[in-house]
Amino acid sequence: MAKEVFYSGCAAAAYGAKDARVEVISSYPIRPYTGIMMELSKLVANGELDAEFVLGEGEHAQVSIAYGASAAGARAYTGSSGVGVVYAMECYSPAAGGRLPCQMAIADRALDPPGDFGSEHTDVMSARDQGWIMGWAESPQEVYDNTIMYYRIGEDHRVQLPQFCCQDGYFVSHIPGKMQMEDQKAVDDFLPPYNPPHPLNPKKPINHGPQIFPDQGSAINVQRAVAFDDIEAVISEVVTDYNKAFGRKYSPFVDEYMMDDADIAFFIQGGHARTARYAVNHLRKKGVKAGVSRLRFMRPFPTEAVAASLSKVKAVGVIETNTSYGGVTRGGNIAPEARAACYNLDNRPIITSFMAGLGGEIVTLNEFYAMAKVLSDAVKSGKANNSYWMNFEKEVLDTHK
Amino acid sequence: MAIEVKTQNLEMVKSLRQVPQEEHYVPGHRTCQGCGPALVYKLVSKATGGNAIFLGPTGCMYVANTSYLCAPFAYPWMHTQITNGGAVASGIEAAYQVLIRKGKYKGELPSIVVMAGDGGSIDIGLQAMSSMMYRGHDALFVMYDNESYANTGIQVSPATPYGANTTFTPPGKNVPEGRVLFPKDAPQLVIGGHPAVHYVATASVAYPVDLINKVRKGLNYKGPSFVHLHAPCPKGWLFPAQKTIEVAKLAIQTGMWVNYTWENGEYTYDHTPKEYKPVKEYMKGQYRFNHLSDAHYAKMQAFIDARLKAPGKPIAIPVLGPREQ
Repeated sequence: MAKEVFYSGCAAAAYGAKDARVEVISSYPIRPYTGIMMELSKLVANGELDAEFVLGEGEHAQVSIAYGASAAGARAYTGSSGVGVVYAMECYSPAAGGRLPCQMAIADRALDPPGDFGSEHTDVMSARDQGWIMGWAESPQEVYDNTIMYYRIGEDHRVQLPQFCCQDGYFVSHIPGKMQMEDQKAVDDFLPPYNPPHPLNPKKPINHGPQIFPDQGSAINVQRAVAFDDIEAVISEVVTDYNKAFGRKYSPFVDEYMMDDADIAFFIQGGHARTARYAVNHLRKKGVKAGVSRLRFMRPFPTEAVAASLSKVKAVGVIETNTSYGGVTRGGNIAPEARAACYNLDNRPIITSFMAGLGGEIVTLNEFYAMAKVLSDAVKSGKANNSYWMNFEKEVLDTHK
Repeated sequence: MAIEVKTQNLEMVKSLRQVPQEEHYVPGHRTCQGCGPALVYKLVSKATGGNAIFLGPTGCMYVANTSYLCAPFAYPWMHTQITNGGAVASGIEAAYQVLIRKGKYKGELPSIVVMAGDGGSIDIGLQAMSSMMYRGHDALFVMYDNESYANTGIQVSPATPYGANTTFTPPGKNVPEGRVLFPKDAPQLVIGGHPAVHYVATASVAYPVDLINKVRKGLNYKGPSFVHLHAPCPKGWLFPAQKTIEVAKLAIQTGMWVNYTWENGEYTYDHTPKEYKPVKEYMKGQYRFNHLSDAHYAKMQAFIDARLKAPGKPIAIPVLGPREQ
């Protein structure tokens, strides 16, 4: 029976993994994702989940254990945060190139220095080009749902790719929310057992990952690229099926709020989108036609869906929650992709980076109002800076006067 | 109901005649003439038979064996990073435990073997190896020791002997001996501090029956085992390619290598010569030691003499370290 519960994002991920019937779990402690493994270790110890719980000696080993298990034919689950995510960096390409669809839960965290427990997307965004599926949830409910949906997407034989199932550290991972956990049988019907086409099996030997020479490399790269071409159709199918099976209302790629008549938009991924929607409610009362376009997948980047959404407005502020020092906008990594997605539009909007939600800082309602002022001014003047570091720049500070 | 996981029970062989004729490491690879590690692969593959999964961390036995998307393995084989052979093997073993338990895989647990070079075992791969040993996975970690990072052009590794000329330890005016450190003791690293390990052995390509039996014995244990295999490298050590076995035997006759078994805390020694020859006899046959003086040979002899008092057990190094001189 489906049941309503009040869970944090960490518990939601753990129960999503349990309902996905993961078979090998590899752990290592780091805040804030640790809560996921604490919950799963209890479920395994109590016999509620029949899985091997392997104590990794670090994140590098965690990912190695998970993709090894996936190669052998088991559904594998791991996770991390912050510096742990980047410590495992070597292992991401082998998992994706080996087409091993293990899942890694990310409760994101700022990188050092200095030591900082707060949420920031830079950790796993650094791994966005390693061939993994990647997207952020905005609530415990979406964490639970994504955990189950990502396995079906990643294990689809048209895809076969590992997944970063991300949530904001603390803002989502540690704040309980009301959510619905689904009936195990219904989840089983939605998510069939993992059935890899080429497991490591002595009865049907295969060699996995032999050395190649340079002229053979691009042919292998193109196979991964083709998987990312096919993946959008698979995501649409899976999200549609999930909505139908469990009564959800996800749009596959871009979740829109009051975008149809908007002049300005906040483009954002993760939990801060909820604050953005509150800000839009207030702004609308003051006559500012604002909307929110929330990105549900960073990889694959849904180029067409983003262009269709952002083309509805005149100016877009990307709330980055990640850094790209010296990057093209001197801001974060999302604005350049949003700009590129809109490049072929006849009337492309002004798109700028708002550097906010860094190091664990809350993106306050006042900050959203300041961003709205910058965007409204941009609509009038027809131009904006490439990026604004919130609370540090004159244009932004002036809006508080 | 959980299904019982049945594990290997491989028979010991008494002579070369009993060694299976069937090859699981088949011709067609591109290893060098006289390659010791390739011989290791052949013998370990004969020991396991076909019900095996081999993991190949980056190294000579990855690059030279699997060039051009081809590989000479007749069992499932998977490349791992040089860093994570032990971790990937752990994941595979854990997967098989749960798949057999749930009835999703029918059959005996395959022999899971990591074939790591010295770097992939006790240098960059040490953490993953140690953790596989510590966690108690039912898998065998083979360290094929050619005493260098050979695939990348013969660079020093923690297994490289004192005095060796490698491309990172060239002898020169200020460093006349080239390699100044003495090697890490690989089996001791495993024996000391991994409560789940019951079996650690050393063997040499010079004694193939012993090597096969030690691999099988390690696999028969329901848990992790470590086998350290001496695998001379003609290209890296600079001796004629037809002398691989001769060099391997001379290593044992001079005490540069000792074949022994550590089983549940007990040491047994194999192939011990009645009288050890001077280490200089072994070293002078390899051009990597050609630059050494008698003082350097004496330093090596002092180290080996101390180690031979109780091979496999901790010793105080009887010579000065690099910061003490």
